[in-house]
Amino acid sequence: MNQTANTYRLIAFPMLILMVFTLIPTVLGMGLSLFDWAGGSDMPRYVGLAHFRAMASEETMGFALVNTLGYVALSVPPTIVLAFLLAVAVDADWFVGRAVVRAVIFMPTIVSIVAIGFVWRWVLDDQSGLLSSGLRAAGVADPPNWLIDGRWPMLWIILVSVWRGVGFCLVLYLAALASVNRNLYEAAAIDGASRSQVLRYITWPSVRPMTLFLTITTVIAALQVFDLVYIMTPGKENQYTTVLNLYLYRQFSDFANFGYAAAIGVVIFGITLLVTAGQLGWVRLRGQTV
Amino acid sequence: MTTKPRLATRLMVHAVVYAAALTMLLPFLWMVLTSLKTADQATQSPTLGTLLPSDPQWGNYAEAMRSAGLMQFYKMSLGVAVVTTVLAVAHNALAGYAFAKLRFAGKRILFVATLATMMLPAQVFFLFAYVICSRLGYIDDFRGLVVPFLASGFGVFYMRQAVAAVPDALLEAARLDGMADTEIFWVIIRPIIWPAISALAIFTFMNSWNSFFWPLVIIDSNENKTLPLAIAELAAGKYVQSWPIIMAAATILVMPLIVVFFLAQGAFIRGVALSGMKE
Repeated sequence: MNQTANTYRLIAFPMLILMVFTLIPTVLGMGLSLFDWAGGSDMPRYVGLAHFRAMASEETMGFALVNTLGYVALSVPPTIVLAFLLAVAVDADWFVGRAVVRAVIFMPTIVSIVAIGFVWRWVLDDQSGLLSSGLRAAGVADPPNWLIDGRWPMLWIILVSVWRGVGFCLVLYLAALASVNRNLYEAAAIDGASRSQVLRYITWPSVRPMTLFLTITTVIAALQVFDLVYIMTPGKENQYTTVLNLYLYRQFSDFANFGYAAAIGVVIFGITLLVTAGQLGWVRLRGQTV
Repeated sequence: MTTKPRLATRLMVHAVVYAAALTMLLPFLWMVLTSLKTADQATQSPTLGTLLPSDPQWGNYAEAMRSAGLMQFYKMSLGVAVVTTVLAVAHNALAGYAFAKLRFAGKRILFVATLATMMLPAQVFFLFAYVICSRLGYIDDFRGLVVPFLASGFGVFYMRQAVAAVPDALLEAARLDGMADTEIFWVIIRPIIWPAISALAIFTFMNSWNSFFWPLVIIDSNENKTLPLAIAELAAGKYVQSWPIIMAAATILVMPLIVVFFLAQGAFIRGVALSGMKE
């Protein structure tokens, strides 16, 4: 029928794009993790699970795994907790300047992560950066080289990611707080609950679905961290800063090791699924016992 | 809320929150201040007296545009973001409309496939997206930056939700008047879902404008680089060595978006809050 043909005309192009650039590449990419392939005219060679076995004994992969999980564990909780506390403060009806504060704290979210990482590199520059020269002026003779020395770079990457991520979570928390039942607060006031009791027993449980949502999405994004590390340690990532996605990119781009890169991608995907399922399961478990 | 806390508490809360907000601004202030200094001033230890540039070097901006050839990257980024946004939003909206209001064979399976694409990890599919782009001749090409993004599972889904809220009675009436589907979309649905369309447009534009990983993968030559790639190379010291010039370039990259953001922050916050649903 003509009607149906017209309908297909509406969806044909979008479906084609999704098929060609996402669905088919995913299936092929998963399969590729079982092959050796340098790309181009080179023929893929089946190697079975060899890439995954190689990973298990490879030092860099170990660093990348530890650094990625460490990054997730140290960046996500502060982001969420800070955003919650700031949201509660800004949401109070006696707070002055809510719109301005919300906009300013949100601002880093819209700025390209490349520019963010870059501006921070200048702040942290060991010669004339704001931090080091400030410390020297304050009498600290020899501040560390923040983006080179030992664990400092990863620490700063984590701080910058918290700094950038708070605004986004804050905005969503504000939306969640707006829908909390105000009667609960009044009932608590009548019962003589203290401010911290209200925060703990009413506000925090009321926004729990949002917290779950933010935790899951932030964790997924953090497991895939790439840009910030790439830009803050350009070409010099070390055992403390290599993360899974960056290692994958090096295998792809520097070594044309397509099969191995695909296998790392599968590992990242697997971890993401596991962690997400774990979080959901944990919440369900607690939901039954609390 | 409960009773107002004491004045001291309220002042302290304000102080902490405003300090946090200031922390958000500080790196950007430092960026702009540096961009107006001479190279010598920038590398001197800042004392309170030299924190502000004594005679602002506005010429640094012209110098940044010239020496790094920023204009070229700007044009590329703007072209990619505008073309992607216009075409992607249009395609997503039409597909969303079909999924929400029209009947056709295979609708369910196609919709499930569309939803599935939202969950698939870029780490896995970018490899073959790259291979497919190279077969199509899209590597190091404008089309490679645009075509893969002309539809998104999230965009289709979001548009479908928006269109689904439009009452069927309106569409029935239009059909009885003999309007075609595309006409119904344009005349009746588009005005109603306009807020959702603009939110998706802002979201799409920002994703494209700030996109880094994919351009890094497929673009090689200088004339096809987008701004984020150029800035990354600036950061690695490729074009110029002087911090004030580099910071002027960074300012040029981020300022337009920041200005637009403060002019239309409501729409922006809605648009970006969408990204949470996507990931």
